[in-house]
Amino acid sequence: MSNENEQNQNTTAPAPAAKKKKAATRKAAARPAAKKAAVKRKATARKKAVAAKSSRRSDAQSKRNAVKEASVVIVGAGFAGLGMAIRLRQAGVDDFVLLERADKVGGTWRDNTYPGAACDIPSHLYSYSFAPNPHWSRHFSGSAEILGYIEHLVKQYGLRDKIHFQQDVTDARFDETKGQWRVDTRQGDVWQGRAVVMAQGPLSNASFPDIEGLTDFKGKRIHSARWDHDYDFSGKRVAVIGTGASAVQIIPELAKTAGTLKVFQRTPAWVIPRPDYATPDWNKALFEKLPLTRKAMRQALYWTHETMALAVIWNSPLTRLAERLSLTHLRSQVKDDWMRRQLTPDFRIGCKRVLLSNDYYPALQRDNVDLITWPIARIAENGVRTCDGIEHQFDCIVFATGFDVPKSGTPFPIRGLNGRELGEEWSGGARAYKSVSVAGYPNLFFTFGPNSGPGHNSALVYMEAQLDYAVEGIRRILDHDLKILDVRESVQQRHNRHLQKRLARTNWNSGCKSWYLTEDGYNATMYPGFASQYRRQMSRFVDQHYRRVPQTGSA
Amino acid sequence: MANIDLDKMLAKVKSSQWALADIDWDAPGADLITEEQWPKLKAFMADLMWIEHVGARGFAAMAKKAPDDTLKQIYTYFHAEEQRHANAEMALMKRWGMLDGDELPEPNKNLKLVIQWLDKYSDDMPLEVLGSVIPMLEIALDGALCTFLLDTVDDPVCHQAFARINDDESRHLGVGFHVLEMQGRGDLYIKALKTVATVLDPRLILGIASYVPLLNRMRDNVVAMGLSEEKLYACMKKFERIGGRTAQGRRNPWYQIISRHGRMVVNRDNRAYHAPVDLMVRLTDYIPERLMPSRVPTWVKGISYRPTA
Repeated sequence: MSNENEQNQNTTAPAPAAKKKKAATRKAAARPAAKKAAVKRKATARKKAVAAKSSRRSDAQSKRNAVKEASVVIVGAGFAGLGMAIRLRQAGVDDFVLLERADKVGGTWRDNTYPGAACDIPSHLYSYSFAPNPHWSRHFSGSAEILGYIEHLVKQYGLRDKIHFQQDVTDARFDETKGQWRVDTRQGDVWQGRAVVMAQGPLSNASFPDIEGLTDFKGKRIHSARWDHDYDFSGKRVAVIGTGASAVQIIPELAKTAGTLKVFQRTPAWVIPRPDYATPDWNKALFEKLPLTRKAMRQALYWTHETMALAVIWNSPLTRLAERLSLTHLRSQVKDDWMRRQLTPDFRIGCKRVLLSNDYYPALQRDNVDLITWPIARIAENGVRTCDGIEHQFDCIVFATGFDVPKSGTPFPIRGLNGRELGEEWSGGARAYKSVSVAGYPNLFFTFGPNSGPGHNSALVYMEAQLDYAVEGIRRILDHDLKILDVRESVQQRHNRHLQKRLARTNWNSGCKSWYLTEDGYNATMYPGFASQYRRQMSRFVDQHYRRVPQTGSA
Repeated sequence: MANIDLDKMLAKVKSSQWALADIDWDAPGADLITEEQWPKLKAFMADLMWIEHVGARGFAAMAKKAPDDTLKQIYTYFHAEEQRHANAEMALMKRWGMLDGDELPEPNKNLKLVIQWLDKYSDDMPLEVLGSVIPMLEIALDGALCTFLLDTVDDPVCHQAFARINDDESRHLGVGFHVLEMQGRGDLYIKALKTVATVLDPRLILGIASYVPLLNRMRDNVVAMGLSEEKLYACMKKFERIGGRTAQGRRNPWYQIISRHGRMVVNRDNRAYHAPVDLMVRLTDYIPERLMPSRVPTWVKGISYRPTA
């Protein structure tokens, strides 16, 4: 829990500074003659403050905290950060560092170790095509095996020395005179890089629901992404709050050990069968000896998932078919008609994440398991009070309530040209160009940035496209010695108008509430198209779309 | 018109939640129930509890039909709140020693038929039908019965519980009448056509056949308890008064049907109505147990007198 608290402090920190800045800007605009002078004064003052701050810091802390330099600073050592490192190295860029806030690599797969944790995308597709693994033990691998794959990447590509652990980034600012990013960490270290890659992951901060009395509960509280493996569930009275992607994996496992298990559901999701199986040894051997067969498998999976876009992203006859498949699954697994009613979604399939499970519905019908669909009134000292007036008492409450997905902010203050702050600009919803670049924030590359999420295909397919795009940008900065490579505002605006127009016609924007949308219903998360369309878009780095300032020239 | 801000209503509903644990069910005063009162009160409470429970199921069906998310959420809460009332009433029965062990009291046969109908068809009914019948049930049965109860029973715990229940019910009625009026807007002709089409639906005819005798049976039970039936009628007239205070409300064909029917129920001289309906009530009693719906839907088993689980 400490992690997300820290993170929250981070995200709220820039607000007062931003307000002051706004006020200063307004004043300057009122007196155009004094504008330049004011901006200059402000910039000087800021630089002085930063300098004073950093000198204070270096005085107070040890001398080892001198500014460290690298061509590329990568924030995060999960799938994205490590993939970036590999692609950079393969492109001949070796001067990079990875800053990781934890003491292990793996990101979301290091954090999500709850019982039953697994990926909903087949492993041969949920892995990097440039780092294939013929040995996946199952069609859908569990979190431990995926984490093993990530750790293997570190070894295989010799990345260990490039990773700096316990480096929790608190601030990133662009120095336009030098064309360099300065990255500060909570530990007091300062990093400088010609380019920064944001690979902190969208699902890295655990989120607790907004329920009254959350902290009043005296028993054990566990978040799915911060599992306590020392807690013994056997014979305990356990609650699971949430019925999303993590919950449907946790519930069947907990049902086996807990004394009683009560599942609190707000909105039922669409659940479809999970075609999982253990890969036989001959098959693994075949994949290893004949890489073409593994590639063919990946291609087959890729195109199967691409077709699913027609059901999940847009409303089509395939959407009805998918809904019918899910309802048949429900009917065949749940006998009681009231429970079936409780579990039947009332929104279009695809609007929220579609869940895959064969054992979720059977688990709910076990004698020791209850499905509770009454709204939760509050959490009390001994349990959960539902609106039907009953207090359900527990030894432990498991929160399978997902993550704070940054749709309208950044995990830490990011300051670009002229002191502009990205969190403030994104407060109404995040916007970027091709999900990677943001106008006004040069030499900065996002992975899993705005509107990069797939609803139907492997996130890593999208990720590869982003990594290669970022490599193109970074190569330009380094090879052409650019001080600034900044996407043009007009290009970014045009891109977003087009995106939002297309998003309006998707199932995500069809009326349900989901983590894809901001409170105001703005979709800053998903990409409205096939993975193939996304890849095609990313395969071209159009130089005219970017403003370039060479190191030696003037801005 | 009863124009209420549904968003504010939802916030109010969320902030007004209470639990069975908020009431001390073992507080002194249970002995204030007289021996003479006891058997009648037992039957009465069982009916009341079941009506709340049936109302709850009605709200569940309405939540599925709600035209917007706020109303849907409100109905979801109301569904739970009606269940809470049933739970609280069961807790009172427990307090007064009216439960056979932990057993749920048997619903009367008319209620059984209504339960069966709700379980089978309520989700298929248009919002207009339930949106009109539920306020009537709430106002006539809930409202009248609760007032009566407080007039005759001195147990302070009973008063404490019903103060909370009535507080919830006032919000249910506010929303009920708001929706009644909301549905009165728009083209009268289309509405009339839709109404006729719905009336012709055999599922609805079955529903009417369950609802109509239920009202008369409740009247008989109330009279048996010593309540003047005028009090019940006064409440039913309230439906006509409040629902019909605006043009929109009056334009809702379902308001017209339900309130006209209410007038017939209230008018004891209308033999053409009461003779066959009373006969239906009596006939229901003669339906052999083996012909009564044997399968009890799962939602019926959700009631509990225990504040904690």
